[in-house]
Amino acid sequence: MSTQAIESLSEDTVRRIAEERDEPEWLLETRLNALSALETAELPDVIQTPGRRWTDLEALDFESLVDPLNQSDTTERSVGDDEVVVLPFTEAFDEYGDVIEANFGSVLDPEHNYLTALSVALFTTGTFVYVPEGVDVEDVTVRAEMNSRSLFSQTLVVAEESSSVTILESIEPGDGEVDGDRYFSNLVEIAAGENASVQFGSLQNLDDETYTYSLKRADVGVYGTVDWIESNFGSKLTRSDVESELNGDGAESQIVGTFFGTEDQHFDINARVWHQAEHTTADLVTRGVLDDVARSVYEGVQDVGNDAWNTSSYQRENTLMLSDDAEADASPKLIINNHDTEASHSATVGQVDAEDLFYLESRSIDSHTARNMLVEGFFVPVLEEIAVDEFRDDVEELVFERLQ
Amino acid sequence: MSSQQDELKETDTEARFEFKKEEKSAFQTEKGLTEETVRVISEDKDEPEWMLERRLRALEQFQEMPMPTDWPAQPDLSEVDVDEIIPYIRPDVDVRAGVDDWTELPDEIKDTFDKLGIPEAEKNALSGVGAQYESEVVYQNMQERWEEKGVIFCNMDEAVQEHEELVREHFMTKCVPPSDNKFAALHGAIWSGGSFVYVPENTTVDMPVQAYFRMNSEGMGQFEHTLIIAEEGSEVHYIEGCSAPKYSAFNLHSGGVEVFVGEDAHVQYSTVQNWSKNTYNLNTKRAIAEKGGRMEWISGSMGSKATMLYPSTILKGRGASDNHITIAFAGEGQDIDTGAKVYHNAPETKSTIESKSISKDGGRTNYRGLVHIADGAENSSTAVECDALMFDNESTSDTMPYMEINESKVDVAHEATVGKIGDEDIFYLQSRGLDDDDAKQMIVSGFIEPITEELPIEYAVELNRLVELEMEGSLG
Repeated sequence: MSTQAIESLSEDTVRRIAEERDEPEWLLETRLNALSALETAELPDVIQTPGRRWTDLEALDFESLVDPLNQSDTTERSVGDDEVVVLPFTEAFDEYGDVIEANFGSVLDPEHNYLTALSVALFTTGTFVYVPEGVDVEDVTVRAEMNSRSLFSQTLVVAEESSSVTILESIEPGDGEVDGDRYFSNLVEIAAGENASVQFGSLQNLDDETYTYSLKRADVGVYGTVDWIESNFGSKLTRSDVESELNGDGAESQIVGTFFGTEDQHFDINARVWHQAEHTTADLVTRGVLDDVARSVYEGVQDVGNDAWNTSSYQRENTLMLSDDAEADASPKLIINNHDTEASHSATVGQVDAEDLFYLESRSIDSHTARNMLVEGFFVPVLEEIAVDEFRDDVEELVFERLQ
Repeated sequence: MSSQQDELKETDTEARFEFKKEEKSAFQTEKGLTEETVRVISEDKDEPEWMLERRLRALEQFQEMPMPTDWPAQPDLSEVDVDEIIPYIRPDVDVRAGVDDWTELPDEIKDTFDKLGIPEAEKNALSGVGAQYESEVVYQNMQERWEEKGVIFCNMDEAVQEHEELVREHFMTKCVPPSDNKFAALHGAIWSGGSFVYVPENTTVDMPVQAYFRMNSEGMGQFEHTLIIAEEGSEVHYIEGCSAPKYSAFNLHSGGVEVFVGEDAHVQYSTVQNWSKNTYNLNTKRAIAEKGGRMEWISGSMGSKATMLYPSTILKGRGASDNHITIAFAGEGQDIDTGAKVYHNAPETKSTIESKSISKDGGRTNYRGLVHIADGAENSSTAVECDALMFDNESTSDTMPYMEINESKVDVAHEATVGKIGDEDIFYLQSRGLDDDDAKQMIVSGFIEPITEELPIEYAVELNRLVELEMEGSLG
């Protein structure tokens, strides 16, 4: 777990990034603190069992992946309603500086681990979403393209009391001509106030030379709801963590995940929820398909705290193997400290059901088409959980593409 | 049969386990662990050179390996200081390898096992019995008809002398090497006592054989080794029971169990563990199953302060199968971290793991399990089911399964539920005239029934009685 010193990184680099963006002093300090935290911070925890490390983050060569001063992206932000603020940070400081300062890093500690500290020290893109009290907005979309060797993105969503918002973000490769490996880092934090409702969908479809690190965390207040949809299709290696802290009584969270791995893709997917208050509910649903020599690693954690009376917590994970050489590891964990809890989890790994295949073939559907139909069908239970049509169509399309 | 059951029920189980005997020993090593200690133990046992060499190598490995401290949410082992342990106590018995008649034992040892009900059980339901007091086996006997068929049941020290070739080939070599973990290495260095079971081809031992382990002295460690070799087509059921009185200093139990399940053989290994609540129970148990072999682990973990025990099976041959049934009951101050490990290394292998845990009065239970399906283990299937029952808000119940699947033609399922004792269930039973305590006890008995069903009646009664004891006075 030793950390790597990146030579191209210095205080000067961080100061230059902050200056170019004309950032307030407090943010520069946050960045510099994150930079110095790199000396002691550790890489994210990875499951290790006798003879097997589930994901090897230490093998990543950050020296060659991180190019802090040449970050480039093209990001389109669209808002259906002007009551909500959707801006890059640089354009939001003047008017919303106080809101940003009050919330930035409050949900997701910049010094949480080596990769979050790196990301906060160096981010040059990302979005600030501010939904004032009582505002209800449906279609906020943030579509980004990555054009450089490395890109660090930081998103902050502040949803005030009784507000409601649906946000979709996507990241794809852009036109920038870069040879060799790339690194994309994406941090998202959501502060959801009393009775606020946030649905946050994320679609990652980067090219197969990109390494992706993504950590998304929400603080859910009294009667608040945060629903996540985390879809991973691209990248050579993806480490994705989606986490909800249910801190208010009656808070709810749903984490829906999908992934589809082909060739030598590696997905390390993590969904975690902490029940810290009374009457909270969580539902974690992940489904993934693996083809060729792709590999998936899943960890789900349902942590029920001592004060979390009357908790309901559910978790399901299913992996479908299309190829003999694919590998799937799974660890669904329950940590229960309050007995007034109803909790369950399940995980399965299997292949396309031979009888289902036979049935379709007997209806004169050729075996390739039949298999594809069954794979599409496998995703239906998670697609049904996605309330936004646009997002569901995107996911369906990507599944379809991979099945050709 | 029923009158016998009643009698067993009537016995005061608590008194049966809690009594202490004055420590009286013929030979006792100094506290702590040095090469000298290991040499002294080996010499006292008059062991062949190769065994001493194995012990010394294990000691070296023990000293090199760090204490396991980085497992997620593992029990606190900081109190376990091996230098505070008396690794070897030979009780004052004239016959070195134990006697085969209870009446030949010194009174206080005989009295101990009488109170535990061992001679009684031997008469009624067992093919053979071994009893270990401190570090040495003091009693070993087997019914003649099994001996005639070539079945061997003797204490491990005797086996080193009498069945040297078999032991040399199988003892801590391919199943549990000392390098497996720090406590396996410790075990390899200072093991003493335990059982050796050998069942020849196509022999079915249709009544269980039993070993009973008793720690009586304060601050001692017990490190018995059990080696079971079941040849092709054979069948045997081995039962172990453990207990110790409670002292203020901690005790350490670090046993080693190795089971070789031959082609189409069937071995069942049952444990009812009731160590006193100052004992650290850090065991390594493992089986290797050949083609068509079947291994069953049945474990009831009731006692100890902290347990870290994950019986494992390596399914090495085509069609081998494994069945784990575990029950953990953690009361006040107990941390029972237990589970199962199964490696599917061949096609058409099957495993089922059924885990039940109960936590109350601030106790913690954790199911920690690993199922690994290797590439090429086609048409293998595994089903894991964990159920946990919690009594109160001070208790903790964790579930940490790990699944590693390197093969696509498999069927893998894991399921777990956690719940509290249902108010409705209790209300129903109360409406039938049961009081609150009885109702809860009944629900718990029902919860663990899948386990008790698998045990011979004497043990099932025992287990139920222990659960009742744990439940007494609980007003959750």
